[in-house]
Amino acid sequence: MLIIGERINVITKTQRLAMQNRDKGPIQQMAKDEVKCGAGMLDINIGPAEDKGDELMDWIVKTVQEVAHVPLCLDTTNPLAMEAGLKAHDNTWGRAMINSASGEEERLNMMMPLAGKYGSLIIGLTLNKQGIPALAEDRCAIAAEIMGKAAECGVPMEDIYLDPLIMPVPFSQEKSLESIRAIRLFREMNDPPMKTVVGLSNISNGAPKELRPLLNRVYTALLMYEGLDSAIIDPLEKEMTDVIKTVDVLLGKTLYAHSYLEM
Amino acid sequence: MAFVVPKETFSGKVFEVEIGTGPKAVKIGGENTLPFLSFEGALPNKPVVACEVQDVPPEDWPETLREAYKDVSSDPVGWARHCQDAMGAQAVALRLISTHPDRQNRTPEEAAKTVSDVLAAIDVPLVILGSNHAEKDAQVLKAACEAAKGRNCLIGKAQEANYKTIVATAMAAGHKIIAMSDLDVNLSKQLNILITQMGFEKDRIVTDPMSSALGYGIEYTYSVMERIRGACLMQNDATMSPPLINDIGMYVWKVKETIAPESDLPDWGPVAERAIGWETTTAMGLLMAGSDMLIMRHPKAIATVRMMIDDLA
Amino acid sequence: MALSGVEIFKHLPKTNCKKCGFPTCLAFAMKLAAKQASLDLCPDASEEAKAFLGAASEPPIRAITIGAGEKALKVGEETVLFRHEKKFINPCGFALLIKDTDADIEARAKSVAASEIERVGQKLRVELVAVQNESGDPGKFADAVKKVTENAPNAGIILISTDTAALESALGGLAGKKPLIYAATAENADKMVAIAKAAGASLVVKADGLDALSGLTEKIAAAGFKDMVLDPGARKSKDMVEQYTQIRRAAVKKSLKPLGYPVISFAVDKDPYVELSLAAVGIAKYASIIVVSDISRWKTLAMMALRQNVYTDPQVPMQVGQNVYKVGDAKAESPLMITTNFSLTYFIVLGEVENSKVPAWLAVMETEGLSVLTSWAAGKFTAAKIAQYIQESGVEKNVSHKELIIPGYVAVLSGALEEKLPGWKITVGPREANALPAFLKNKSAAA
Repeated sequence: MLIIGERINVITKTQRLAMQNRDKGPIQQMAKDEVKCGAGMLDINIGPAEDKGDELMDWIVKTVQEVAHVPLCLDTTNPLAMEAGLKAHDNTWGRAMINSASGEEERLNMMMPLAGKYGSLIIGLTLNKQGIPALAEDRCAIAAEIMGKAAECGVPMEDIYLDPLIMPVPFSQEKSLESIRAIRLFREMNDPPMKTVVGLSNISNGAPKELRPLLNRVYTALLMYEGLDSAIIDPLEKEMTDVIKTVDVLLGKTLYAHSYLEM
Repeated sequence: MAFVVPKETFSGKVFEVEIGTGPKAVKIGGENTLPFLSFEGALPNKPVVACEVQDVPPEDWPETLREAYKDVSSDPVGWARHCQDAMGAQAVALRLISTHPDRQNRTPEEAAKTVSDVLAAIDVPLVILGSNHAEKDAQVLKAACEAAKGRNCLIGKAQEANYKTIVATAMAAGHKIIAMSDLDVNLSKQLNILITQMGFEKDRIVTDPMSSALGYGIEYTYSVMERIRGACLMQNDATMSPPLINDIGMYVWKVKETIAPESDLPDWGPVAERAIGWETTTAMGLLMAGSDMLIMRHPKAIATVRMMIDDLA
Repeated sequence: MALSGVEIFKHLPKTNCKKCGFPTCLAFAMKLAAKQASLDLCPDASEEAKAFLGAASEPPIRAITIGAGEKALKVGEETVLFRHEKKFINPCGFALLIKDTDADIEARAKSVAASEIERVGQKLRVELVAVQNESGDPGKFADAVKKVTENAPNAGIILISTDTAALESALGGLAGKKPLIYAATAENADKMVAIAKAAGASLVVKADGLDALSGLTEKIAAAGFKDMVLDPGARKSKDMVEQYTQIRRAAVKKSLKPLGYPVISFAVDKDPYVELSLAAVGIAKYASIIVVSDISRWKTLAMMALRQNVYTDPQVPMQVGQNVYKVGDAKAESPLMITTNFSLTYFIVLGEVENSKVPAWLAVMETEGLSVLTSWAAGKFTAAKIAQYIQESGVEKNVSHKELIIPGYVAVLSGALEEKLPGWKITVGPREANALPAFLKNKSAAA
C-alpha cells in the first residue's frame, strides 16, 4: 500500500512556523524522516494559505524535493497555490497528486481542470454541498460525477484516487463500516478498479489519546482488506507501518520473507 | 469492438548487472516487462549464454557431451580458450568441481591458481562456480574471489548456509554474486535481504532459483521464476529485482534422456540428438519464464539457443 | 472475467425507476457485477443488454474439439496467463504436417499412430495430422487424407486448403470426424464458413494483425459460426510470444470475445532443433495446436515432456505407481532401498542409482505424491506404514538378504522400523540423492 506521509502540515506548530519563516531545516528533516520510514509520497498541507499561498507552495515543493526524492501530495484549497505547486513539482520520481477535488461543484470545477492541464494525479472526496452521504452507494453516485468531470477534463480514470471520507468512531460509529464498504464499491466502479485513498487518523478523532493508535491500526487493516491503495498517515508511527507491512504480506501484495518487517 | 493492443505498464524493473571488464563485458537484465514483450516495454539486454568448463577432465559427463570437447577438456585453460575463440562464447563458466570433498578434494589455493590461469587466457567475462558443497565452497570461492580481483566476475553460489563469507569477499574484491535458494520464492527473497543487510548492493546480485531439467522438475523452476519476476514487475519489490540465471547443464546432463543409448530405449531415438534436444528445450522453457542468463554445456544446444535469443530479443 | 458495474451500467436503461428494487441503475449494475442480482429484475432491459450479459458468462476462450471418439482432442477454455495462478486446463495438441505431394505419406501417418509413449503414468502422443493440399489437385488431396485416416485412425485431421473442390473431396471421407479446416481469410470467409458448417468442422481464421483478425472473427460469429481457431500469422519466435500473449491477455483480462479462441502455431523449420525450440515457445506461451514438419522420436520426447510439465496442476504433485522397481541387472543380493512416490523424488533417486552403476531394488511406496520429508511430517511415511508395505509387497521374494536402506532424512525411524520388521536390518542411507552413488559403491565394495 502507498504510504502518504502527513507530518508536513500547518497544524503542527514547528512545521507551521517553519513555513511562515521559510525555514528549510525542520521541513527537510521531517521529509527525510518520513521517507526513511517508508512514505512513498509526502502530503504538503499548507492550509488555505490565503496570503502569498502560491509563493509558499512553490518554495515548499522545491525545499522538500531537494532532499526527498518522492512525489508530493499538494494539500490546499487555494487554486493559485495548487497551480504553483504543480508547476514547481519535479516529476522525476512520480507525478504530483492534487489534494483534492470533491463532488462539490465549485471545488470540482476548480481542481479537476488542473489535473488535466498538468497531467497529475488527483484525490476525489466523495462529499458534496449536502455533506458526506450516509450510505456507501450514495458516495458512489458522487464518485460517478467526479469521474464524469475527469473524463471531460481529459484525466484518465487511473489517475483518480477516490476518498470515501472517514467519520470518527466516537461520534458516528455506524459510519465507520460504510467507509469500508465504500472502498470496495469504488473499486468495482471501473475496470481496472478505481484507486482509493483515506486520511486515516480521523477514525480515532475524539477518542482518548492512548486508544487512538490501536483504532487507527485496526481500521487500516480492515480498509486494506477491501483494497485500499493508499493512506495519508504518520509514517513515523512504527506500529502502524508494521501493521501495513504485515497486511500487505497477508494479502499477498508483498512476498513474505522472515525479515519482511525490515524492508 | 475495435482491438486495442493490451499493453501493461509495470511499476518495477529488473536491475541491470554487468559482468566482466573491458570491451567484452556483458550486461544482463534491465527489462521493465515480461520476457520478450518489446511491444510494451524496454529489453535493453539479450539473455546471455555462458559456456561451462570444469577444472578437471569431465570423466563423469555423458558420451555425447564428452565427445564435443574431447580435444580440449583435459586442461581448463585450453578449454576456456576454445569456448571463447572457437565457439564465440559470450562468457565462460568455470566450475571448480575438483574441490568437492567426494571428488579430488582440491584446496582453495589450487582452485585459485586455476582461476588465475583461466583469467589470464580469456577476455570474455568469467562465472566462477564452486562444487556445490556449501562448506567447502565458502573457502574455495573466497580464494577464487581474491585471485580474480579486478575482473568483475560472477561468483556462485551463495546459499543460506554459506553466504556470509562469500558475500564479504565478493564485496571486497568487487565481484557480482549468484544467490541461490531451494526452489522457494520466499527463501529467495529472504536470502537477498540477508545479503543486502551485509552492505552488498542489491543490484550486484543475480538470482539462481535452482534449476531443474526438463521432465525432472522444470515446472517448479519455471513457476518460481515467473513468481519472482511478477513480484519485481507488479509489486515493484526491489528484493526480487535481480536478474535470473539458470545453471542447467549440471541438471540436464545426468538424466536418463541424455545418457541412455537408443539400443536400451528404441522408442527414444538416437541419444546425441535426444540429449542436445533435451538441453535446448530446458533452456527455451526457462527463457520463456524470464531467464536472463543460462549456463549451458553442449555446443550445438548453445548455438541453437543463441540463435533463438537473437530472434526473440 | 467479471464485468465491472460501470460496464454493465452502460447497457441499462438509466432511468433510475427503482422497479428492480435498487435506488439507481448504477446501484443495480454494481449488484449485477457482483453476481448478487439477476438481470430479470429489470423489466426494461433491452435484448442487447441480455445478450451482452449472457456472453459475459461463457469461458473466455472457446472450447474446440478436433476428431471424434475417445481420442478426440479438446483445446481452449483457458482462464489465466500464468500456470501458478491456476492450472492450464487443456494441454495443447501436436500435429504432423504432411503434404499431399510427399512420397511417404503412409509411413509418416504410421509414425503418428506409433508416437505414443508413457511418462509418469500418462500416455502422451502426437494427436493430429495436418494434410496440406500442396498439389492443388482435389483427387490427390482426398487420396492423401484417406491414406492418413487409414494409417493413423485415431489422429484428428487438419485440412490445409482453400479450394472448394479439394475440400469437399477430402471431407467426403471425414463424415462425423470433426476436422479442422485451414483457413478462412477476409476474401473467402463466407465460402469457408459454409463448407465448415456443412461438414461439422471447426475453422481456422487467419488475418494480418490482431485488429483485422478480431474484425474477421466478429463478422463470422455474427453470422452464427463460432467454432474458430486463430492463426495470427506468427512464424518466428518473437511474433509468437508477442501475438499469443496479446491474444491471451485480450481474451482473459479484457474479455475481448473476438479473440477468445484457441491459437494454432506453425513451428516449422528445416533445422530440427529450431523447430523444437519454436514448439517449446508455443507450448509455454499459450498455443493450443502446434504443427511441426517432423516427429522424430527424440524430438517428440522433449516436446511431450515440456507439455506435460507446463500443463501439470501446480497444486497436485505428480505421482508414480507404488511398486518395487528393478534398477539395472538387480539380483537377489542387490541392495534394497525404499522411497516415496512423489515423481520428482522417484526420478531423482532413480537417476542417481542408475548413475552409480550398482544394480539395486527401489521400492516406491504410495505417499499421495508427497516427498520424503513432507510425507513423514504428514504421517504417511511412518515406521508402521513402511513395515506394512514391505510385508505386503512381497519384496522378500526378490532379495536373498533382509536389509532395507531408508532415506537419510527419516533416520529417526530406524529403531521403530526394526521393531516392526522383525528379522530385518535397517540401514540409514544418505540424506541427499546425489550422495547415493558414493554410498552404493562403498556398500558393494564392502560386500
